[in-house]
Amino acid sequence: MKKYDVIVVGGGPAGLAAAISSSENAKTLLIEREHRLGGILKQCIHDGFGIIKFGEKLSGPEYAEKYKDMVKEKNIDIITDSFITDIKKNDKTFSVTVVNSSGISQYETYSVVLATGCRERTAKQVFINGERPAGIYTAGTAQYFTNILGYLPGKDCVILGSGDIGLIMARRLTLEGANVKGVFEAKSEPSGLMRNIVQCLEDYDIPLELSTTVSRVFGKERVEAVETVRVDKNMNYIPGTEKVVKADTLILSVGLIPENEIAEKLGISTDIKTKGPFVDNSLMSVNVPGIFCCGNALHVNDLVDYVSESGETAGKNAALYKNTNRKLTKIIISDEFMYCVPQYINYETDEKNIIFYIRVKNNCNNVRIIIKNERDEIVYSRKYIIMRPPEMERLVINKELFKNTSFINISLENGDDNI
Amino acid sequence: MKRKIDIYLKKNIGKSATSSEYRKSILLEGEADSWSKIISAGKYAAKFGYKGVINKISLKGFSEDYISKPDFTDGKFNNYNTDVLIIGGGIIGCSIARELSKYNINILLIDKESDVAYHTSSRNDGMIHPGLVPKPGTKKAFYNVRGNYLWEKISEELDIELHRTGSVITYDKKFLNIIKPFLKMRADKNGVPIEFLNKDEVLKYEPFSSDDIVGGIRLPTAGIVSPYKATVAYAENAAVNGVVFGFNTFAEKINTVNGEIISVETNRGKILPKTVINAAGVYSDIIAQMAGDMFFSIHPRKGQIAILDKKYGNSLYSILSRPNLNFHSDTKGGGLVKTVEGNILVGPSAEEIPYREDYSTDYKTIISMISKHEKALNRINKNQIITYFSGIRAANYEEDFIIEKSDYIKNLIHAAGIQSPGIASAPAVSEEIEKLTVEVLSVYKEVKRKDKWINRRFSSPQPLKLSIKDRGNLILKNPDYGKIICRCEEISRGEIIDALKSPLEISDLDSVKRRTRTGMGRCQGGFCTPLVMQIISEFKNEPLNSVTKKGHTSFILGEKTKEFTGDDLNEKV
Ligand SMILES: Cc1cc2nc3c(=O)[nH]c(=O)nc-3n(C[C@H](O)[C@H](O)[C@H](O)COP(=O)(O)OP(=O)(O)OC[C@H]3O[C@@H](n4cnc5c(N)ncnc54)[C@H](O)[C@@H]3O)c2cc1C
Ligand SMILES: Cc1cc2nc3c(=O)[nH]c(=O)nc-3n(C[C@H](O)[C@H](O)[C@H](O)COP(=O)(O)OP(=O)(O)OC[C@H]3O[C@@H](n4cnc5c(N)ncnc54)[C@H](O)[C@@H]3O)c2cc1C
Repeated sequence: MKKYDVIVVGGGPAGLAAAISSSENAKTLLIEREHRLGGILKQCIHDGFGIIKFGEKLSGPEYAEKYKDMVKEKNIDIITDSFITDIKKNDKTFSVTVVNSSGISQYETYSVVLATGCRERTAKQVFINGERPAGIYTAGTAQYFTNILGYLPGKDCVILGSGDIGLIMARRLTLEGANVKGVFEAKSEPSGLMRNIVQCLEDYDIPLELSTTVSRVFGKERVEAVETVRVDKNMNYIPGTEKVVKADTLILSVGLIPENEIAEKLGISTDIKTKGPFVDNSLMSVNVPGIFCCGNALHVNDLVDYVSESGETAGKNAALYKNTNRKLTKIIISDEFMYCVPQYINYETDEKNIIFYIRVKNNCNNVRIIIKNERDEIVYSRKYIIMRPPEMERLVINKELFKNTSFINISLENGDDNI
Repeated sequence: MKRKIDIYLKKNIGKSATSSEYRKSILLEGEADSWSKIISAGKYAAKFGYKGVINKISLKGFSEDYISKPDFTDGKFNNYNTDVLIIGGGIIGCSIARELSKYNINILLIDKESDVAYHTSSRNDGMIHPGLVPKPGTKKAFYNVRGNYLWEKISEELDIELHRTGSVITYDKKFLNIIKPFLKMRADKNGVPIEFLNKDEVLKYEPFSSDDIVGGIRLPTAGIVSPYKATVAYAENAAVNGVVFGFNTFAEKINTVNGEIISVETNRGKILPKTVINAAGVYSDIIAQMAGDMFFSIHPRKGQIAILDKKYGNSLYSILSRPNLNFHSDTKGGGLVKTVEGNILVGPSAEEIPYREDYSTDYKTIISMISKHEKALNRINKNQIITYFSGIRAANYEEDFIIEKSDYIKNLIHAAGIQSPGIASAPAVSEEIEKLTVEVLSVYKEVKRKDKWINRRFSSPQPLKLSIKDRGNLILKNPDYGKIICRCEEISRGEIIDALKSPLEISDLDSVKRRTRTGMGRCQGGFCTPLVMQIISEFKNEPLNSVTKKGHTSFILGEKTKEFTGDDLNEKV
């Protein structure tokens, strides 16, 4: 059985960054189930990656290439086309079982970084009534068809959901000569980034219908049409607003779910808000020490730059990991927030600063994020003109501010208040 | 009798409606304004002891029913002579084919779809019912109990998983004590073992059963199989023994002379059979009528079923239900079944519909089934659903199987109206049809058993179910078993190639899925669909965009993109 200090699971941007930072201080193995490294970036041939990290607009594969080059320079063992079938916790280590075309192998390691990315929510999970023809795909699958296989998913497309991948696919399909009949979004606000609404829909005259969903699919062999219907605030259909749209393809961009089957096998407790593990600021699981998590497996990110950042944090801490007792400070968020990562603070780490990734539930204008300690003292505050759910906020705060408190409270208040 | 029926029809359907005696059956005609009235009329007419109810009352404004069928013609089976022609490749047709393959006769099985188990046989719970529910003395009761017994041997011969888990039915009221004697009597009459459990015993079998119950009953002979794998296994064993499978072959017309079938016309030519077996599921009444033997009607009864993520599978061990004592509830019956793969199935519903192939599903029904069956097992909820589907039961008005030689057509045999529990009964139904066919065919030729009949079939390897050592060795022999294609179900390239190489020729995504489970997991094929398509296209040496989801014209891809420059990006799978 081969031994490592750190095993990184997943070779997307999160895993690549984790392996690089881990290899500075530890013997590292990177395991990827696909043939090539790069994760989902391999199929994202549009640009807009790396503006924060590299100060330039790269395509997904270009961004991944930069990291792959860095990985090559380090002393990192890499196995691709390899699938993890089991992972077990031992006394001080973990054993990882891997299947690939040369057989089954087992590895032992002190810590593990989960960088397994996410999967897409499916048509069945959003409950569309009707028939079962061919022609219903998630946006990521449609993207694979178009960008990797070089085939259009169909001619006349309807897109359900205004997530970023859906918006990007609307543009891509239009450029390839397909007819995108519209993007339908059940919520009253688009769920993708503003820049994508402008660059992918408005620039191409693709209609976006808000508060509207797809209620039914027609067609036996291949999709022939879909029925759209307007919905009220509680997502109930409004009778009489049904419209039939002729289309041969229905593309869904209705959300991503972190892939955490490995974490679950290890009994890691997960946050129902992020659907990723509960972690502290070293990105280590709070209940299974030695397991770290980053990227989209931790929570769904909108910018790859932050994915790489979380990978770096997780990799570095995994390399330094020693099984000592932690004292954790719980982060409590108020109702206006969808989630905050990390969910706990470990004061005893090396970093000077703690990075918070935080997302609001609804659009808010002119607000202030306030952080208080257990004595109800304000330790941090920051004003925002606007906060939107699709755009995650990143806060970098000096760790010293969280000394000597057993919990902190993050809340959102009116931005006009004088503090 | 006819008078009473006429009065009923006039009153409930309208002046236009009439009945007439046709041979030994009763024929209803006219036009009604609702489907439920048509069903009620049929059920009413079934009370008078006719051989069958032929319900031809039409629904106002209802246009021609859709039927999935091949869109091409060729001459593949033109003037094709065969001793036996089986129409229908569900579990009934395939099990019959397998049993008949013991004899020195030619057998052709045709199905209008691109694979076996395309319709009802892949759209059900896969439960091997114990046989308590059917009325004593019915064919259903007999074949169910006998089929349940035979599954033991069949599952071994065909190398398919049979989990004989038993089933548990729980009750919350003292009620049980009142119906106990009745249940015991029925169980004895049908020959079904039954055990009465107190609450603690229930919790021993199903620890997560809701505990606001007083007790339950257990039927230890209940079991579970994968219905589509079972159908495929029957078909593969039949094929190995020389049965010819004609897919994409639609029986359109049956020609008879003097009460004898002389030919069956299909889109692939005119078949010349000595005997014909009607195993056409929801179309079995149509086939009977085509052959001039109209005596019953199928009224399609839809059932929707929800599938929960395997992750939550360990809250159930076997088959669990808690009957609803509120008779006004719209989802009668059904329960929870743990499949051989470890998912929990919730359902099915029972809805009378005018369509024979309407597999649509709706949110309301799925959710109401979850709320209903949550009462048996609190741990389930709607967020655990990964997908849902529906199937159609081939119900006739007599609500019993039709397993017999035709009264009017010398060389026609019916295995018709096989609604639930058709999977459980299949081994017994095919045993009987085997006997009847040999009798009928013996008039035409000498029927002898083959010297060499291969009664065993072996499933191709399932690496996931092997020990680490065996799995490793398997991969050493064939590295393809180490290349995981479907991540959720952990299915390898080797298994997909095995499915494509199997004795039945298949080439679409759903056929691969039925054999290997690719795309059946929580991501529902999001990741593996393109990869499986590549393997199929490579194996068949056909372009990627000729691959279909389920045969016919269900193409998955459109045209090539403009800018595609080469395969440098192409993943090798
Ligand atoms: C379709 C799509 C389009 C996007 N578009 C943009 C955009 O325009 N701009 C932007 O900034 N961001 C975009 N994003 C977001 C960004 O690219 C992702 O957040 C980022 O790729 C996530 O990186 P990751 O490493 O966490 O996950 P991934 O890139 O998904 O990588 C995870 C890797 O782990 C591997 N893996 C998973 N489980 C296992 C296992 N058990 N064993 C071995 N290997 C495993 C996978 O094969 C995969 O290679 C997009 C995301 C998606 C899904
Ligand atoms: C929701 C649901 C749940 C069920 N649960 C259970 C259960 O748990 N246990 C159990 O024992 N039973 C169950 N059943 C019943 C069981 O599924 C059926 O009894 C069984 O599958 C019937 O098999 P079959 O071969 O008769 O029909 P099918 O599988 O429908 O096969 C008939 C075939 O005939 C072909 N065909 C029809 N017309 C033509 C034509 N003109 N030319 C060529 N081919 C034609 C069709 O394409 C089809 O493939 C359930 C049924 C439903 C709907």
